[in-house]
Amino acid sequence: MTKRVTVFSRHLAKRGALQRLLELEKALSTIFGSVEGKPEALEGVKVVELSYANFAGIITGTILAELGAEVIKIEPPSGDPARRITPYGVNVNGIGIPFLMESRNKYYVTLDLNDEEGREKFKKLASQVDIVIDAFKPGFLDSLGVGYKELRNLNKGLIYVAISPYGHTTSRGEKLRNIPDTDLTAQAGSGYPMTFGDPKEPEPYNYPLRAGLWAAWYMTALLAAASTLVALFHKFKTGEGQFIDIASHDVITSWIGASPIWGFLFKRPRVRIGEFDWTLYPYGFFTCKDGLVTVACVRDEDFRGLLKILKLWRLEDDWKYLLDRITDDIDRLKSLNQELNKAMANFTQDEIVKKALDYSAKSARSRLRAGGFPIVVKALTPSQVLKEEHWHIRNTFVHVDHPSLGRFIVPAPVPKMSETPPRVKWIKCNVGEDNELIYKKYGLL
Amino acid sequence: MHDGYQLSSKLFNKLYGDSEPLREIRVLDLTHFIFGPMISEFLALFGAEVIKVEAPDEGDRWRLGPYWWRYWKDSNLLFHHCNANKLFIAVDLKKPKGRDLILKLASISDVVVENFRAGLAEAWGIGYSQVSKINPKVIYVSCSGYGQWGPLKYLPSFDLIAQSVSGVALKTGFPGGKKYKLQDYYGDYLPALVGAVAVMAALIYREKTGRGQYIDIAQAECMMRIMHDWTYLSITGEDLGCSGNVDPTMAPSGIFKTSDGKFIALAIATDEQFLALMKAMGRNDLAQDKRFQETLERLRPENAAYINKIVEEWIKTKKATEVIELANEYGFPASEVVDDWQIINEEWRKERRSIGEVEDHMYGRVVIPIFPATFEKTPAKIKWLARPVGYHNRYVLKKLLGLSEKDIKRLEKEGVIGYWDNVVGLRPPCYYDIERDPIFNYKEGEE
Repeated sequence: MTKRVTVFSRHLAKRGALQRLLELEKALSTIFGSVEGKPEALEGVKVVELSYANFAGIITGTILAELGAEVIKIEPPSGDPARRITPYGVNVNGIGIPFLMESRNKYYVTLDLNDEEGREKFKKLASQVDIVIDAFKPGFLDSLGVGYKELRNLNKGLIYVAISPYGHTTSRGEKLRNIPDTDLTAQAGSGYPMTFGDPKEPEPYNYPLRAGLWAAWYMTALLAAASTLVALFHKFKTGEGQFIDIASHDVITSWIGASPIWGFLFKRPRVRIGEFDWTLYPYGFFTCKDGLVTVACVRDEDFRGLLKILKLWRLEDDWKYLLDRITDDIDRLKSLNQELNKAMANFTQDEIVKKALDYSAKSARSRLRAGGFPIVVKALTPSQVLKEEHWHIRNTFVHVDHPSLGRFIVPAPVPKMSETPPRVKWIKCNVGEDNELIYKKYGLL
Repeated sequence: MHDGYQLSSKLFNKLYGDSEPLREIRVLDLTHFIFGPMISEFLALFGAEVIKVEAPDEGDRWRLGPYWWRYWKDSNLLFHHCNANKLFIAVDLKKPKGRDLILKLASISDVVVENFRAGLAEAWGIGYSQVSKINPKVIYVSCSGYGQWGPLKYLPSFDLIAQSVSGVALKTGFPGGKKYKLQDYYGDYLPALVGAVAVMAALIYREKTGRGQYIDIAQAECMMRIMHDWTYLSITGEDLGCSGNVDPTMAPSGIFKTSDGKFIALAIATDEQFLALMKAMGRNDLAQDKRFQETLERLRPENAAYINKIVEEWIKTKKATEVIELANEYGFPASEVVDDWQIINEEWRKERRSIGEVEDHMYGRVVIPIFPATFEKTPAKIKWLARPVGYHNRYVLKKLLGLSEKDIKRLEKEGVIGYWDNVVGLRPPCYYDIERDPIFNYKEGEE
């Protein structure tokens, strides 16, 4: 007997559709289930990654390596200090957690760029590759005579990706070239912390707030990787390489784009509004009997659904439209928020999540409810997430058992691709581990 | 005032500009809100021809979500940012004839992107299994919260939901204090970049082999990919948790208040940077201290807390500009925490055209975010802003599918294709004379 599936659309509930979807599910778990023997999208693409204590550069290399590029990380003989950047100093054999996570599929080679011989080797290597990632301070490689100017003459098709706080090509980048990049400073320079936190809290809890993970470094790396692939596509068509300049202090700013849009519209900075949102309500955390739940009601019908299950229908008249709920009168909004929280406190997390799901499943089958889907989920901690079967079925995590580094978990590459899935082929971290192999392959001996 | 012909030939030339690396790529964009639209937007910025399909009358619901209800010329700027350079058609996917139109467009597209709830595209007959039959080379991208397979696949999702089920949501805030979501729909914009990487990789692979593929992006998985928590948990047995303004991977680190009431973010990643900071502070004693000399030692919670306190006191006595000058002189990482108004006025962003002025024939002049990376040869460009629902119906259906005016009138009558409801956000700006618009009233063969 097949298990009954709960769906949230009447289009899915039709008998024919459900049957088709079951077949599709089977097909998908087969095509996405295994990566063994499948080709790699970037097979044959050669990358040199030079970064010094800068994970934006390291992760850019990692993403290309997950997709099958041959990524050679060049380090000074003492190793990249990024190896020791790690939460609370936690490490395995001196290797920090971020480095362990992002070390997949790379080749580790040492070259001393302060030495003439090292520079000659580097030039020889760079003349044979497609992509150079430079996450040193702007102008550093130029000052050694191995910057884009020189490399371009050796390799017409070279794609040179420079990652720095303010870019290599701006007045501010030139003026502040000596300031190294970090995630936190990049968040600050992007204006991101100014959108977080609650100015009504006591000091220092009212300060602009850091996003609690490497929001700037990861977004910068993904943007750099995507941009690099555009240039690579162009290179395949025309043979032409080019310079790409990425400013980590500008990625959140102009990819998400919220700050300039607000600045243009209102001619003043945003007011920080704590747990609220500037365009949607309810869209945030609520407190149940036993912990936090997250509620997202994007459309008016979703909000009506929420009022129904919380038995707060009396509020409907005053707060009918998103227009009523999105307001700069935060005190008024707080009164609604209090009512919702009070009602929420009558339920446990599981109860309210189930109520919302039941409501949505029912409304999917009824035209009268006009398709309201109040979404309520538990706000999970990572250890709770790891217990969720769904992710294990999808191989979201890779369990590593390494001869010298031991057992640990790393997140699998994203996304799932049917033909050329990104994958973790190996994890190794030793400084200069691949010197012999790479020196030989590129004629550097 | 331009006459119709002049204007349209100018606009059509813009469609096929030079130096656009993706100009031969056609994208069928079946997306709404942010996550899906930003994937096709990435491609559109580099010259791909993106055909965005919306529901007649109501359109993409994100049209109705501006900041604090502040519309700009009857439209939502946040929507413009996600939908520049696209062609807008409005087709009812639930009608068989609507489905047929979509399948016809899909058969001549290189990339199809959808972000309906999992299974919905399939149920409507426009999913991967149906499209790949008529277009085996297609790159088909499905975006959802939990992915297209697995027990949770049918659950609806948004940015914030993905943040919660991935464990991100509890990471921002002070220990024991209030928790904050990642702002500005980070849980949409980051997965969209993952999508951009995947589509570009798939296009490169297809260029070499002629093979298309299916791409399944789960928002929550993208958020999990950028967390250190799993590895930390598997090694220490504990959750990494949240740490307020301290980045636990760097010491000292934090957001500090200056003597002139501004905020400085400072984070020290290496021994070299630590020495530089101590020199700038004139604290040779601490530079020699065994507790702080080596990164892994310095990162221990008790040592990090100690050194953070000292840095906090020091920054209190300095102006923001003084700290930045010292950071540049000595070489340690520090930045002022800037706000929206500073950002829109900062010269260096205009120099790199990551934020720039765009001149649009319907909306006029606007300063808008363009793209964060500067390209030497193939820069990202905004050629035109978003358009009202169904604006390009005639242009797309006549030019790409060869329909006649008569065919189109019939489809309109049957409700298969449609236009905007007369609502702010969906319709053209009030001052705009749509009846004289050469593209909206596109006449075949007269270009």
